[in-house]
This record gives sequence, structure tokens and C-alpha cells, in this order.
Amino acid sequence: MTRTNLNRFGTLIAFVLLCVGFSIAAPAAFASPANVFNLIQQMATLAIVATAATLVMTISEFDLSVGFSASLAAVICFVLFGQGYDVWLAVPAALLVGLVGGAANGVLVARFGIPSFVATLALGTILSGFAFGLSGGQSLFQSVPDGFKSLARGDVFGIPVLGFWIVAVLGVAAFVLTQTEFGRRLRAIGGNAQAARLAGLPIVRDVIVTFAIAGGLSALAGLLLASRLGSVQHTMGEPLLLPAYAAVFIGTTASPTGAPTVAGTLLGVAITGVMVNGMTIVGVEPFVQKIMTGVIILVAVLLRRVGRTK
Amino acid sequence: MLDLSGISRRFGATHALEDVNLALSEGEVLGLVGPNGAGKSTLIKIIAGADRPDAGEIRIDGAPVQFHSAHDSYAAGIRVIHQDAPLVPGFDTVENCYLGRAYPRRFGRIDRKAMRAAIAEVAAGIAPELDLDVPVMFLPPAERQFVRLLRAVADKGRLLILDEPTAALPAEDAERFYEVLRRTRQRGTSIVLVSHRLDEIAEFCDRAVVIRDGRIVARFGKDEVKPEAMIAAMGGSTSQRSTRETDTTAPKMIEIDGVTAGDLTRPADLAVHAGEVIALYGLAGSGRSSLVNAIWGAIPWGGRMRLMGADYAPRSPRQAIAQGVSCVPADRHRSGLFLSEDLIFNKTLPLLSGYRRAGGLPIPDTGAERAEFLVAAERVSLSYRDPRQLARTLSGGNQQKLIFSRWANRHSRVMLLDEPTEGVDVMAKATIKDIIRAIAADGNAVLVSTSDRDEALELGDRIAVFRQGGIVRIFTRAEASAEALSAAAQSREAA
Repeated sequence: MTRTNLNRFGTLIAFVLLCVGFSIAAPAAFASPANVFNLIQQMATLAIVATAATLVMTISEFDLSVGFSASLAAVICFVLFGQGYDVWLAVPAALLVGLVGGAANGVLVARFGIPSFVATLALGTILSGFAFGLSGGQSLFQSVPDGFKSLARGDVFGIPVLGFWIVAVLGVAAFVLTQTEFGRRLRAIGGNAQAARLAGLPIVRDVIVTFAIAGGLSALAGLLLASRLGSVQHTMGEPLLLPAYAAVFIGTTASPTGAPTVAGTLLGVAITGVMVNGMTIVGVEPFVQKIMTGVIILVAVLLRRVGRTK
Repeated sequence: MLDLSGISRRFGATHALEDVNLALSEGEVLGLVGPNGAGKSTLIKIIAGADRPDAGEIRIDGAPVQFHSAHDSYAAGIRVIHQDAPLVPGFDTVENCYLGRAYPRRFGRIDRKAMRAAIAEVAAGIAPELDLDVPVMFLPPAERQFVRLLRAVADKGRLLILDEPTAALPAEDAERFYEVLRRTRQRGTSIVLVSHRLDEIAEFCDRAVVIRDGRIVARFGKDEVKPEAMIAAMGGSTSQRSTRETDTTAPKMIEIDGVTAGDLTRPADLAVHAGEVIALYGLAGSGRSSLVNAIWGAIPWGGRMRLMGADYAPRSPRQAIAQGVSCVPADRHRSGLFLSEDLIFNKTLPLLSGYRRAGGLPIPDTGAERAEFLVAAERVSLSYRDPRQLARTLSGGNQQKLIFSRWANRHSRVMLLDEPTEGVDVMAKATIKDIIRAIAADGNAVLVSTSDRDEALELGDRIAVFRQGGIVRIFTRAEASAEALSAAAQSREAA
């Protein structure tokens, strides 16, 4: 195994070791089917938001509004439920808001040249204001149709429904990024935007579409979270932001060129998910969990860096 | 002062350097010449302490030394100056010269006066025109180059190694730079100059060595340093001028009518026939690159253009490509390549939708891509290991050929080239020129923008000379000569 291979697969090996370690430490609780079921459910929303972050990072931009979009979509959906609207109207409307918000990010970045860090922070803050206003700052949980609850609850043949969402969303995203012309263009824009423009790529359009997809995926994640919990708060999506980027960064350590990949991001989500789940089962205090998670991110990225400079 | 004997360095089975012997005395200027990959960089790294030889000895002032790191070499007075070595843009010259050095202190505080005085003294000797007190971001590129030089000399540099110091400078500025360098050597500073511009080596160096396949293959004394001799030693052949005349009966492929854009402030008129290579020659900023970019749709432009008789008004490179125009932009690293992607990715990107399967879904057929890559690579004589190797692993000349390969298997009408041989070694240059002639021979119109006069003479069936934002004259093959081109590109009174 060459040095670069060791680096690439090091992250995967670390994940396996983590699982083995927790299985030995808490064989009954960690490795049980019930816990794996639970783990998949916990990971799903993060995996989808992290996929949105992966797409945006592929074009070398940031989207800090992902968590806010998730909250706003969930709030809009529940407000519509409260006014008696059906799932078939409320869910598409909420997703559309996510898409439009994302497209607005894209326009600010691609047309007006505002750095994505600033544009998405500002727009995300605006979205969070709408979420606050529409919800009235209250927790919403009334008149939720059963059809909506089944989006993210329960199982099919013993596999949690959210597991299918992960496979579907990440599968499509991975296919788009690696196999299609659009994915190729995104990698080109992220690799060298100036060269991409001079090679005749429709950069403005592609950047707007990418941000729109990211907004739509964030909204989807917000709806799935709301479906699983059965209630909505206007700040519920915000804690997704940092773990999503943490997962992408851990994932880049498993990619040959250091560019983000969907598979790597899934690995990152799994590592952070297993860490938190395993440590909770073993009885590690929550504050220590946070410290450990931060340390893991640093170690993963540092190991990669050390390997590269040699 | 520096004496290298029997220096060898191997990487696996290849000899990067083999038994290199080289001596340099105080105040001497040595030219180091060779094709890309010949071992120049390895040699520089060894002198700079960034790499260690497997065999051989380095002596400084007669005493053997061992460089374990760049720091050791620095302590011995050796300074490597890269053309794009970073300066802090918001710092002035004095502050930039003190980066990484101990500041003079007075009552515990940084003594700005002493700093300035120390730098001013050195600057007075080598670059008196340099303004020491403005942030370097406001200095023109040539003067930033002076700052790098000043920084090296001011901190007790005794041997300067300059790697392509003038590659990014137009001819006038290069002359100013060499003037400063001349004054630097008069202080007794020794200089090693690495450059692909052989005429500069010939003019400025006391001696030159040609390095090839890791060995010194030729040494030239003061009166022997001639570009032709160096090219021959590198294994190339001296360039030949185009002897073709424009076939004015051939159809006009592109007509430029009163076009202005960017640096091109005076309306330009030009028509290029099928099968013709027209050279656009001028200094940087004279408008020739802007014309290329306008035809490519990369910058806003005014005026009128016609492509094969039909109106042509590209607003983006995408539209230009759709109408059969191709381009190899200047500055391949910034504007051409995707260094972290593989060769096939780099080749097929601009025409990606041409690789769909019969079904029409926007999913490239990787088999078709590979097949076309192989054909195109052959056509531009690209040397590579694996179509999936990353673009960054190719040498400069091959990277440039990779960009050419994008257009190699399509029937384009107009081909735009901006500085196609910049930073490319002599051998690759010759190949690229052959490729350019072959493209024209296929019936395309080719526009080559260049700051290299000899290249303009060599390639152009006609040569449009640009000066201060406009075309000043279009020379036919018979009228063109080196002197006439220079006069047209530089004289000011005629403007």
C-alpha cells in the first residue's frame, strides 16, 4: 500500500476501528440492530445537509444558510398545515422556498460577485428572520397530517425509511457529480473558475443552479427532521451547519486530490455520528463528546496534510 | 566563491544530476540554460539547501559545506529569487525587505529610521528610482521585482539565483531590470541566471552552461555565449522564418472592423484569410491580448466582427466555441488548466457535450473521451504516462500541448493563441510552432498574439504590430524584419 493510499483509506480505517472499539466496549448496546436503526435515523438529516455543503464546496464556495433554509422550510410547512393545507401542497411549497432562497444565494454570488461566505450569511439571517416571524417564536406541532409523519418514520423490511432517503439523495448527488456533464463543470469551476470561464462553461448559470440545489436539499432535510420529531421550532436547523461542514472536511481527507466527494462526506457523517452515539452509550459526558469531535476533525485533516507535504 | 564538484542526484532509476562541476567567482554572472526537466531546478534546490546531493561536494570560499536545510544555505549568503516570490502587498519596500529579519530596535521599539536608512543605502546603489515608502501593491511589476532583488542583497546576499526573472515583464521593463542587476553585480555579488530567453542570457552573462539530461553538455565563455550555439547544445534546431505569403484569394475567415476592447483603445481593422497565420506583436498592454479576448468573447468589446461573412458578436467564450472559434489563452496555470484533474478531463471539458451517447443524456461516454484523447495527444505529440494522471504532473511544455489538444480533433475555423510558447523550453517550442503551422495548413485562420519578436517573425505570414492600444502597421512577409518590428512596436513619436 503506497503512502497516498494509506492516507486515503486511513479515514475509512479510522471509522472501522471506531465501530470495532465501541462494539467491544458496549457489545449489547452499540452493535444492536436497534441502535444501528437509531444511528441511521440520527444521521439522515445531517447527511442530506452535508451533501448540500458538498455540492457548494465542489465549486469552491460556502453556503452558510443551509441550517436556516432547513428551519424556514419546516416552519412554512407547519404553518400551512395549521391553515388546513394538504401535504401535497405544503411540502412542495416548503421545498420551493428552499430552492428560491438557494437560487438567490447563487445570484448574489455569481451575478453580483459577493463572496459566498458573506452572501449566504446575510441571506441565511434573513431567512431565519422569516422563520422566526412565521412561527411567532412558538413551537409548532398541531394538525400535522399522518401522511407527513410517514415521510421519515418507521421502516420498510426493517430498514428505516430515512435510510432510503440517504441512499436516494446521496446516490443521485454522487452520480451527478461524478458521471454527468454538470458534475464535471462544477469540478472545473471549483478547480479554476477563470479557466472554466475561458473554456466556455456557463458559470453563472451553473453556480446559481448549484446554490438552488443546496437550498432545496437543506429544505428537504428540514422537512425530514420535522417529520421525525413531529414538531418544529424556528431555530431547529441551525445546529446542522457546523457538523455538516465538519463532515465534508473529514470526507476530503479520503479523496485523492483533497476535493470534496459525496462518498467522503458520507464517511464524515458516519464518523461524527458514530462518535456521538458511541460516546453517549459508553457514558461519556456531553461536553467531552464535543471536545472529542473537534479533536477528531483536526486529527483527520492534520494527518492528511502531513501525508501530503512529504 | 561557490564551487560544486561531482554533484549527483538520483530519483529512483533516473539521474536528475550526474557529475556536475561548476565554479563561480565573486561578481560573476553565470547563465544556466536547458530544456524543462533537464535538472536545472534540482541543481538550484541543491545550491539552496532544499535538496541534498547523493554525491559530490559544495565549497564556499574554498571550505567544504553541508547544507542540511534552506537555512544553512541562507546563512552562507545564497538567495534564490523566484519571479513570483511573495511580497506583503500592503507593506512598503522597507518593511518587505525586513520580513523574516531581526528589526533594529531603539529603546525596545522598532527603529523605523534605522531600517529605512539601511535599505536606502543599498537601494541608492542598485535601484535609485525605486520609491521605498509606498506599499508595494502600488508599484509596477518590474519594480516589485526590484524589491525582491533589494531584499536579497540588503540581507547580506552574496550569490543570487534568479529563476526566470523577466518571464512576466515586457521588453522595456526587462531592460530596466537588467540595468538594476548590472549595478548589483558591481557590488561584487555573484549571480546565477536561469532563463528561457536566450538572448538575455547572451547579453548579460559572463559565462553560460547548458544542462541536459542532468549533465552539463556545453560551457560557453564570455564571447561564445550566443543563442544559436546554446540552442544547438540543447539539441534543438535554430528557428526558421516563415516563407509563406498570404493567399489573398482564400476566403476571409474573420473580419475585424473598428473593434475596441480593454487595452485596445483605438479601433482596429484586420481580416484573416483561411490558411493564414497572422502574428499580433506588441508589448504587454499594447492591445494585442485584448483583441484576442474580444474575439473569444471573454471581455466586452465594441465595433463589428464577421465570421466567414456572417455577423459574429460573441458575448462569452461559450458563444465563440459554438461558432467554431478556438482559443489557447495566455497564462496556462491561471487561465487554462485544471491542475488537480486528469488529462482527459482537461482535454474534453470545452466540448464536453460532444461526448454524449446516442441517447442524448448529458452523461459523457468515457470510452469515447479516451479514444479522442489518444488521437489528439498523438497529434500534438504530448508525452504522458497515463491519460488519468493529473495535469499538474506534466512539464510546462506538455501542459501547453494539453491545452492545444482540446481543439485538435475538431474542425474549427479560427484559432486564437495568446503567448503560446511562454515558459516553454526550446524543444517544446519547436513542436508547438509546428502544430500551429499544421492548424493553418488545415484551412483555419490562426491569430498568434506574442511579445516575442522572433516568434512573430517565425510564425506570421503577416504581422500586425500593436502599440499603445492600437494596430500601428501590418507587415507582409517581405516587409518584415526584426528592426522594423521593434521600431514600430516601440517608437513613440509615430504614435
